[in-house]
Amino acid sequence: METVFDSLVLGFSVALRPDILWFAFLGCLVGTLVGMLPGIGPLAGISILLPLTFGLDATKAIVMLAGIYYGSQYGGSTTSILLRIPGEAASVMTCIDGNAMAKKGRAGAALCIAAVGSFIAGTFGVLMLTLIAPPLAIFALRFGPPEYTALLTLGLIFLAYMSTTSLVRTLLMAALGLLLGTIGIDVMTGHFRFSFNIPELGDGIGIVPVAVGLFGLGELLATPSHQVVGDVKSPRLRELLPTREEWRQSAMPIARGSVLGFLIGIIPGSAHIIASFLSYAVERRVSKHPEEFGKGAVAGVAGPESANNSASTGAFVPMLALGIPTGPVTAVLIAALLIHGIPPGPTLVNDHPDVFWGFVASMYVGNLMLLALNLPLVGVFVNLLRVPYAYLYPLIIMFCLIGVYEVNHSIVDVWIMLIMGVIGYGLKKFGFDPAPLVLGLVIAPILEMSLRQSLIMSDGHWLIFLQRPIALTLLVICVGLLVLSATSFVLHRRDWRAKLAAAETSES
Amino acid sequence: MIIRTDHVAGGAFLALGVLVFAISGDLPFGTLSAPGAGMMPKLMTGLMMAFALLIIAAGAESKPFKSLDWSDRGHAALLVLITGTAVALYQTLGFLITMSLLVFTLLVVVERRHVLRAAAYGVALTVFAYWLFGIALKAPLEHGLLWF
Repeated sequence: METVFDSLVLGFSVALRPDILWFAFLGCLVGTLVGMLPGIGPLAGISILLPLTFGLDATKAIVMLAGIYYGSQYGGSTTSILLRIPGEAASVMTCIDGNAMAKKGRAGAALCIAAVGSFIAGTFGVLMLTLIAPPLAIFALRFGPPEYTALLTLGLIFLAYMSTTSLVRTLLMAALGLLLGTIGIDVMTGHFRFSFNIPELGDGIGIVPVAVGLFGLGELLATPSHQVVGDVKSPRLRELLPTREEWRQSAMPIARGSVLGFLIGIIPGSAHIIASFLSYAVERRVSKHPEEFGKGAVAGVAGPESANNSASTGAFVPMLALGIPTGPVTAVLIAALLIHGIPPGPTLVNDHPDVFWGFVASMYVGNLMLLALNLPLVGVFVNLLRVPYAYLYPLIIMFCLIGVYEVNHSIVDVWIMLIMGVIGYGLKKFGFDPAPLVLGLVIAPILEMSLRQSLIMSDGHWLIFLQRPIALTLLVICVGLLVLSATSFVLHRRDWRAKLAAAETSES
Repeated sequence: MIIRTDHVAGGAFLALGVLVFAISGDLPFGTLSAPGAGMMPKLMTGLMMAFALLIIAAGAESKPFKSLDWSDRGHAALLVLITGTAVALYQTLGFLITMSLLVFTLLVVVERRHVLRAAAYGVALTVFAYWLFGIALKAPLEHGLLWF
């Protein structure tokens, strides 16, 4: 405990430096805007702005990019409550009761509860991250190639299990991502794979062009401006304070959402989306007045908003301690750290304590900044929602082009982004979620390397995965999840994932 | 037989798998004790095709292909065309000219906005982005025909 305290002191000595504070503030501000604007989620926002961090050191870069991620969870609630349009996917559940509260003239109270809930949950998440990540990193030092292979496989299976589309569709997308991840020079043999004599493809396909294409451009292609309408009224400052009864009703949902969100956050998958749905379901179940849900229940705002913030912080645990992405956003953040020469994983805490603890401490500060940004300045932010979409999306396209081009100064990357945009549009039409594709692309090099190393170590015996206790445990969990999924498929049971899919469809 | 969305999607992934197998013939699979460069791509292609077959097999429950809403296809096609042209011209014309033209064309052609307003917005936005990226953040932007 003393070590953690000393490390946190080191972290705060980094996080409270004026330059780090400035980049944390920038990240939080941009994240709030990204979360508010329909069409750009945190993934596209982070990917587009990744090149801006190239001139910064690793600590500033990761502090700013993480600020965009958790800031977007705050910002998403504003659009959901005021317009009934989820600014980003995790805010889908907030639309229901948040907008109903707004229609009753309680928009300010809903925004305040969402912001305070997000703050409490975010801070709780960081506290848990502080306590859990270092011992987990020490444990992960026991991992060899078979354990990493099993862990990455578990990540993909978990993502598939948690996905709101079917297990088969998710696994297909992951396989496609893993296939795309094999493009380029094979580091073990030097073979060129699928590079078609294009030198730029020798290094493989970058995450940024794929992520920006699928999530940024793909979304814009499917959103004609005449479909984006919204009459937004900004609440007055004095309307922001909830009543004593509203505070009382929100206390327990915030507490439950914080714990639930963190637990789900550390599991791979689009955790913050799932966390908000599960929190909503839990609140409706434990409520004495479930009939109020959908008509402006305070718990329907407080729970999901807390859960999605706590989950977004929880997602940093496997990212920092194991070096494994739990979803596309953490995948891009890992790429950002790698670009700056900092490999995330078990050695991060010891090799780069200033980066690790500075990052953790900056999240405490960032949550405070977000509370300050999101409450008094909500009236300023909603003005952004008044900018006609027709004028907004050319700006987003321009940022997509600049963002992708500046990563490697490669026009091939920009073409890849454009192609991925078209593919993203097609995938959306046919009901495929592109997130597993990006995750597959990111983990492909690590998975391939650890799989091949495992086979070489064992002289070609697959049993190596069953002979090592950690790998075996992880694979048993994989099988358990596959059996669970198969059971609900065979029995045609409508489980929580099907309900989440239905809720997402009805809100989009 | 009604063609459904999952039949089309599954068929497309199956065709992609066949194509990948066709072009990866020279990649050695190796052996289990010495896996080659082709092992992972071929495994993943095989998996992808297997999942595609499963999707086709369960496709009867999906929506009819004809019921897909393609009302946004004109908007999407124009965006791809205009953005693609901008990408093709980017290194020749440089940042300032390409981006101004991109925003202007999107506003005039896709959004039917007033020409003068679109031109002013396009130039203002590009100058702002140039200041942000090129000057404030010192990111090297393409010069193209212009010397700065």
